[in-house]
Amino acid sequence: MGSDFFQWASETLGFQETFLKPEALNGVRVLDVTAVVLGPSAADYLAEFGAEVIKFEAPQGDQMRYVTPYAYFWKNMSPGLWEQQHNRYWVGMHLGNPKARELFLEFVKKSDVVLDNLTPGRMAEWGVDYKELKKVNPRIIQLHVSGFGSWGPWTGRTSYDAIAQSMGCLSYVTGFEDRGPLKSGVWIADWINGLMCAVSIVAALNYREKSGEGQFIDQQQVENVIRMLDWTWIYTYLTGENRPRAGNRDLAICPSDLFDCLDGWVAITAFSEEEFRGLCEAMGRLDLYEKYRDPLERLRDENARALLAEVAAWAKEKHVSEVEELGDKYGFAATRVLEVDDVYNDEAYRERGSIQEYEDEMYGPFREPCYPPRMSETPSRLKWGARPIGIDNEYVFNKVLGLPLEEIKELERASVIYKWNPDIPSTCPPPDWDGKSGVKFP
Amino acid sequence: MDEKKVVGMAINEDYAKFIYQETRPEDVLEKPEALDDIVVLDMSYGSFAGLYASSLLSELGAEVIRIEPPEGDIARKMTPYGKMIKDAGLPYIVEARNKYHITLDITKEEGAEILRNLVRHADVLIETFKPGYMHSLGLGYAQLKELNPRLIYCAIHTYGQFGREAEKHANQPDYDLNNQTRGVIMSITGEPDLDPEVPQEYKRPLRQGNWMGWYVGGGWAAFGINLAIFHRYKTGKGQFIDCSPPEGLFAISNYLFQYYHMSGRKMVRAGNYDYAVFPYSYFKCKDGYAFLSGFTDPNWAAVCEIMNRPDLQQQFPTIKERLTPENQPKIQHEIEKWTQNYTSEELLEIITEYSRRPDKKGTVVTGRLEEPKDTLQREHWKLRHTFVEFDDPYYGKILVQDSSFHQMSRTPGRIKWPCRPIGADNALIYKKFLGYGPSKLEELKSKGVL
Repeated sequence: MGSDFFQWASETLGFQETFLKPEALNGVRVLDVTAVVLGPSAADYLAEFGAEVIKFEAPQGDQMRYVTPYAYFWKNMSPGLWEQQHNRYWVGMHLGNPKARELFLEFVKKSDVVLDNLTPGRMAEWGVDYKELKKVNPRIIQLHVSGFGSWGPWTGRTSYDAIAQSMGCLSYVTGFEDRGPLKSGVWIADWINGLMCAVSIVAALNYREKSGEGQFIDQQQVENVIRMLDWTWIYTYLTGENRPRAGNRDLAICPSDLFDCLDGWVAITAFSEEEFRGLCEAMGRLDLYEKYRDPLERLRDENARALLAEVAAWAKEKHVSEVEELGDKYGFAATRVLEVDDVYNDEAYRERGSIQEYEDEMYGPFREPCYPPRMSETPSRLKWGARPIGIDNEYVFNKVLGLPLEEIKELERASVIYKWNPDIPSTCPPPDWDGKSGVKFP
Repeated sequence: MDEKKVVGMAINEDYAKFIYQETRPEDVLEKPEALDDIVVLDMSYGSFAGLYASSLLSELGAEVIRIEPPEGDIARKMTPYGKMIKDAGLPYIVEARNKYHITLDITKEEGAEILRNLVRHADVLIETFKPGYMHSLGLGYAQLKELNPRLIYCAIHTYGQFGREAEKHANQPDYDLNNQTRGVIMSITGEPDLDPEVPQEYKRPLRQGNWMGWYVGGGWAAFGINLAIFHRYKTGKGQFIDCSPPEGLFAISNYLFQYYHMSGRKMVRAGNYDYAVFPYSYFKCKDGYAFLSGFTDPNWAAVCEIMNRPDLQQQFPTIKERLTPENQPKIQHEIEKWTQNYTSEELLEIITEYSRRPDKKGTVVTGRLEEPKDTLQREHWKLRHTFVEFDDPYYGKILVQDSSFHQMSRTPGRIKWPCRPIGADNALIYKKFLGYGPSKLEELKSKGVL
């Protein structure tokens, strides 16, 4: 494949022109009534592609202000909050307050999307559920997400990421063959659910472009995990057996497994005839190619185990980089296991825009992932990170509702809106804050 | 439906009933579809990232045309233990939903020309070949947009379409496991590194048990395509989308990057522990495993009260004590001494009862670590149509998971048919879009183009 293609793709997609290009969701206003990871991640995906996301936070703050590895804080900030809170506007307002409800409905009139991950029915208790919202704005799209959705025998049950991983059977199928089930190393069920929320919201926006109609979307966290478990369900349905745990071996593609090398691990996959032949050539074992040529025969349990043992014995004598180079040469997949610093420090990801650097007004220079995919006309971008509670109250109430500063102060005096709590550092600005950096208005 | 089943454990019964009315599974087929004006050409080959992306679009109503080479997509043969139903493996049957299946050999000039003609009618094209392959056939985005400037072209591949790694590894194919290895999440998934009871041979990176690399990659692709469609409504312009599944994984790796940026430190594999929230883990119980959590101070106090272990609360009073790799195994074992006396159902009862006490100290959450056989029997999933059974004229009795969008009130996602044989829709699609009659199809077939 000629280098002209890569040159063209780099010019078309590279990070360098990101801020010269439009944003896909420019002009879409999202009212974000979410906390923790799942709901906020959905809002984050929209925000990095240009939506104006206004976050409404309870007085004690988003729970992620307190969830952080080893109880570590940085300039008062929890890394657990920062991870899914970019490009937002931060309002301190609790919708359970009757005056706040009134104000919220004013926002709804001027917005496109309302997103919540509270206990199902909580928004109704406060009089801000879909039934009420569509009265003031029939074009509104409201998405609610919870563990078990808004109706059904299990509606109202509390859920967390690990509930979704365990009740959705992801954990059951993750782990080594002769060991117990394992959670993912991250809150994967939250993040993938956020993705399905975001897809359904943009699909609803697309429908609204044609029809002018809004709608309500009910998402169930556990169900979305179930959806992503590929062949698990049809296998159990047809065989009556649970899908077994198989470590790193892929039971549906052979060979595909993680192997020990002299200096680390390498994943090798070669399924098509050409790829498998390439691997056998690289191993100097065309006899294996002759013996296991048919991919379906290769997948039989005893054949797969025998073949994987041959590959393992070969890989053991090699360095990881040698196997990767053989993969490049012979056309099979061979990859090392990347860790966070491998990606963080590699300039190649910054050229792609999948890792971005920006200067945050409040917290200084930052470098972290920006959501995929890379788009030629409407690339995603990072502008700023997480903020103390309520720091954008003035900006948002003035810009969106047109309230003068005096009235905004009045709302604060009446405790309808509020800012951070000086007694709780992780809701506050950095200790050395100058009192103005990062404030958008006045 | 029985009202009690609709309202379940809802805090607001009227709300549950209202949403039920808005999203009744029985009404799905009567409602419109969000993307019914969109034609998708899915050229993916050997990739469930591509297939999942086009599944999501098809569930939303897009007309998805699967273009396979004459011998079929090798993805049909990716199936556990080699188990096939006629020409399709089990995973393929799950992700062939609502798609029209045609054949075309794009490596022949006549086949390439036919693809160009289809592109004139299409809104979206998805491909998963090695980067630059389509370009080398004269079928890349730069060439196709000349025929159709509104085209949205989405390429999915491990290394993406440009950059040093893409150039270096352009000859490698895209697979789930390899996407997972480059997605960073795998480096911290697996048995806990710092637990002395875990044998050394298990202290290694572990993949998520499903095809998470492919499914997350496909999910991001479908997101990008929907964004591009929205942008096109505003501007009329198509675009090029470059979706790298590993980038899709490391972008959702919790706080790994942020913590590294702030502190210069990396996380280690924690197994079922969690160094940011604990207890938040799986515990052995009488009939398997159950999840149990109570990680903030009040919730931890509630856990200790339920177990009648005030000594544990004294020993590990704040998150500083509970979030260390040394203490978590100790806390785990103490809690397990208690959970092993009960079944997961009994644990749920005990904790639900505690949660109703007016003097409760906090919230404790529990749930069974389900096995697939359990899940298929649960009433909640049955009533919510989480799974759909088909008696297909060709593939027989099968069951697949329903659309992630089936509870959109106005444009619910749906499955119309599960799968089609190789080339089964050639006559329909080539007639509809290009006007080919039976003799033309026969001619193309004899030349090996179809």
